Amino acid sequence: MTMDPNEHTVDELEDELESIDDEDVLQSILEAEQAGRDRKTAREAVHRRLEAVGAVDEESESEGLEGDTETEGEYEETEETVGEEAEGEEVEEVAEAEDEAGEEEEEDDELSHPTRDKRHVRALEDGDYADMWVFCETQGGELIDVSKEMLGKARRLMDEFAEEYGVSASEESGGSEDGTASGDEENVVAFLMGDDCEGLAEECIAYGADVAVYHDDDRLERFLHKPYTEISAHMARGEGSIESTEWRDYDQPRYILFPATNNGRDLSAKVQAELDSGLASDCSDLFIEENEVSNPVKTGEPGVKKTFEKVLHMKRPDFSGFEYSTILCLDNPGREFHPQGASVIPGSFEPIEPDYDRDGLVVEHEMALEDDWFRVEITEHDRLEAGIDLTGHEVIVCLGRGIAEDPTEGMELGLDLVDAFEDAELGITRGIVTSSYQFEGHVEEYSKEERQIGETGQVVAPDLYIAAGVSGAVQHKVGMDESDTIVAINTDTDARIRDFSDYFIEGDLFEVLPELTEAIESGRTELEAIADGSGEESENGGESR
Amino acid sequence: MSTDTADREHYEAVVVGCGPGGAAAAARLAEHGVETLVLERGTEAGSKNVSGGLIYAEDSAPYTIDDLFDGFREEAAERPVTDYRIHNVAGNSVKTYDLRDLHEHDTDWCEAVLRRRMDSWLEQRVHEKTSETGGGVLTNVRVNGLLREDGEIVGVTCDELDPIGADLIVAADGVNSELARDAGLMDWEEPEEWFQGVKAVVDMDPAVIDDRFDLGEDEGAAHLFSGDLFEDVRGGGFLYTNEDSLSIGTVFHLDSLVEQQAEPHQLLDALLTHPMMARWLGDEYAEREYAAKLVPDSKKVAHPEPYQDRLVLVGDAAGQMQAQGPIIKGMNHAVTAGALAADAFAVTRGNADPEAAGRRYAKLLEDSGTMDKLRPRRYELARAVGERETVTNAVERVLDSPVGRVALGNPISNRLLERAYNSPFLVSMLPDTRTGYVTVPSIIGEQHGRTIQWETDIEPPTLEERIGELTYDTDVGNPHIELEDESFDASGAAVYACPVSAEDFGGGCYRSEEVTHNGSEETVVSLDTQPCVECGTCAIVADTTWEHPRGGKGVEYREG
Repeated sequence: MTMDPNEHTVDELEDELESIDDEDVLQSILEAEQAGRDRKTAREAVHRRLEAVGAVDEESESEGLEGDTETEGEYEETEETVGEEAEGEEVEEVAEAEDEAGEEEEEDDELSHPTRDKRHVRALEDGDYADMWVFCETQGGELIDVSKEMLGKARRLMDEFAEEYGVSASEESGGSEDGTASGDEENVVAFLMGDDCEGLAEECIAYGADVAVYHDDDRLERFLHKPYTEISAHMARGEGSIESTEWRDYDQPRYILFPATNNGRDLSAKVQAELDSGLASDCSDLFIEENEVSNPVKTGEPGVKKTFEKVLHMKRPDFSGFEYSTILCLDNPGREFHPQGASVIPGSFEPIEPDYDRDGLVVEHEMALEDDWFRVEITEHDRLEAGIDLTGHEVIVCLGRGIAEDPTEGMELGLDLVDAFEDAELGITRGIVTSSYQFEGHVEEYSKEERQIGETGQVVAPDLYIAAGVSGAVQHKVGMDESDTIVAINTDTDARIRDFSDYFIEGDLFEVLPELTEAIESGRTELEAIADGSGEESENGGESR
Repeated sequence: MSTDTADREHYEAVVVGCGPGGAAAAARLAEHGVETLVLERGTEAGSKNVSGGLIYAEDSAPYTIDDLFDGFREEAAERPVTDYRIHNVAGNSVKTYDLRDLHEHDTDWCEAVLRRRMDSWLEQRVHEKTSETGGGVLTNVRVNGLLREDGEIVGVTCDELDPIGADLIVAADGVNSELARDAGLMDWEEPEEWFQGVKAVVDMDPAVIDDRFDLGEDEGAAHLFSGDLFEDVRGGGFLYTNEDSLSIGTVFHLDSLVEQQAEPHQLLDALLTHPMMARWLGDEYAEREYAAKLVPDSKKVAHPEPYQDRLVLVGDAAGQMQAQGPIIKGMNHAVTAGALAADAFAVTRGNADPEAAGRRYAKLLEDSGTMDKLRPRRYELARAVGERETVTNAVERVLDSPVGRVALGNPISNRLLERAYNSPFLVSMLPDTRTGYVTVPSIIGEQHGRTIQWETDIEPPTLEERIGELTYDTDVGNPHIELEDESFDASGAAVYACPVSAEDFGGGCYRSEEVTHNGSEETVVSLDTQPCVECGTCAIVADTTWEHPRGGKGVEYREG
């Protein structure tokens, strides 16, 4: 038997050699190795075996499995590249996380900085900053909800700001960096652009803005990176005609908010880069406070503490909300980072009640838009179905798998009952969405996921919730538990829904639903009386009054 | 970094799954200085895992889990098993045998475990170890397939990350291993190659456990059940004591479940509500968790050469789950296999042949005797005659005849029976027919048993309540199982065999529905994956396209 050592690793070879006692064979292996790959370690292995066989005592098995140590020191690198880097690199570049003390940042020499080639950077030092600007995104000629939410939050923040830094504070604030006109209050400034958005600018005032700056151009009907960015930066720097900028006398906004929507995220990054400032993306909370910092990059010299006033604290969820970090955007000596900017997760804040009599200044922004900015052309667009919103109705009629016997008729009966109410909608359980029921064409649209109530569907809390043929699985319960009055119709008195229903009607929905519908249409019953108030079975629905 | 394709992430070894097999492989690879990345689809290791609950350390095994993870027994296990019995049941009559001899044969120690606690502890140790050699554990990442180049396996692809290359890919991704199937090494075809287990973890105060099971400090009990508890379904039950809970479950041959149209949760309930359980369960029954799992029958499916190119399979992924009569061992073999795969890679590192490590691993499995435990040759011989239906029937008739009953029923045979049960050789030869599982035990119960007079008032939760208690992170709009054929013929078996579905239950995964198609009535099956516990049963018994949910999605076990 011959073995070619060149086919084996040294470790394998050692292992194989263990079983070879014949000196000649070993010699031939050695020669084969020398003729072939001629590895030093392999030769040594054969030598060792030869020694072991040839004379003295058996050398113990050497499972030299040390391996090489080439991987030393690579951990940092691999860790970073594998652990998906959170977005928001822009933030790290200029904005400082609160806890970052001790982390080294290179002294800014204005040469090695990636934005060094920017020609338009203004107000690097001793700039004047004021106001909280809010980008109000529009869609289909309307302000989207998050725009109103941000205006509401900005309103509250700047009201508090006025209390904190207003009249009394301004008396003692002679040497403050704050050089705004009145020195007491600062404004909420809405800025928006579009095809015909003066009306929307006025709506921004109603939702809490003091000033609304808008730019109209029919080419701006849809979001476009380049013109939107250019206009935003132009507005923020106060460039443009005297008429359109005389209301302000600062260099750049103190704060700026964008919606963390698809378009808002894009715009926020580009505008903040354009203005040479930082961005905290996807924030869920904001507050304004002073902050003491000892980081020499920020204070100018080591060992010195410096207090920054009026710092916007931007909280954002990390790791899917398991942790939060608070991002601050602080000036360096010699290089100031304003506006302090954030994008805001929709739904984080409440809008204020709109007041259409609120006073405010609506300003049309003037600026020549270069054709070159419109090289991107939107040739086609499609608006996705908004889906069905089951929330906010007085009554929800929900159908479950109790309709199995005749799904189409069950659906029709449910819809009849919905129609009998003034403000009702039809919901269904997941059991129906995932069923293979054959619905006839005219009711099929009601069997889709968009009407599903429950953990993986919508969560509703109407005044009246009528659950027909719904067993009441936990996943369904979480979607309707908060309803004021829950009425269940079920043939099975052991159904779990009974545990959390106010009224339980034992009966077949195919019989009970028409009775209910009739009763409600004829006005002979009030909802509370449906089950005779006992909460127990009542065979004949709403006939009781 | 050794990178063969410029911009692709590359590790020396990628281990998929951080259960005992993956953990052992990763720990051993790290000990060899191998740069090892471990990818786990659960939100934490253990959140996707279920086991009956005993892990063994065998005297004859080359590796045991406490060899690799110092402090395992103290930190990650529940109670050592010091009392081991089997109960043969016939109606209310129960005959109990002490199985300690069998249990202690080749056993260094044996511990009851709950997988969430155990595997999450392992994950931390593995992360510490692999971090030192340039790797680590990443959770919430689902590996969805093999990366191939020129037809050769060179890495893995994931739902959440870009493809990752590796010199060694350890598929420790469990019984439903998508990698093993991608490589064509395992399939989901034959129900008779699988068991299905369901388990309830029952809350119980430690002092109460000690009292009811007559246990002292550092003692625990394991009880097995067989007989006519489960009608004619082939399988058995178990009860293990944990620190402050009990693991009670049933394990059945999947083909038998399908044949008998049995509902797994009802079989579990049959055990829970049997009068003999009353002395252990008392009047209060508080179920913490309902769980289910598919178990490969290593006698039939343990792959003798579980490798291909740079891919090696370990543990359940390779079918390495030994279930022969009362012996149920899986995790220990996964540990051995994982460690051997790592050793094989270390020895062959640098060999230009990509299959060198795999070949070596298969050889180590063979040489260490592991493969013979998993697929005993004695069984292969006995099975040839023993499992044929005609032989079964003939044997059944003899046992049913007065002669047969006398043979099993006389006092001498009683002694012999205990010895027979305690012989690892005889046990490993038990053919998997109802003779072994049902007929013999119930005749034993009938002839030798003591009649139990206790009453039980226990009412186990309904299936709906059990599903309601489980934690899910549903991947809305992205179901991980697709029903390919909704006809009852093709997929109807899933309605009862699925542990979270039942006939006439609308809240489960699989439901049978009467639909009218152009006037003609027909029974079809519909699927909702929300309640899915990812056991894989339907991949075998129904016509589906089956994948695991994305990383972190789906069911999350708290006990396991």
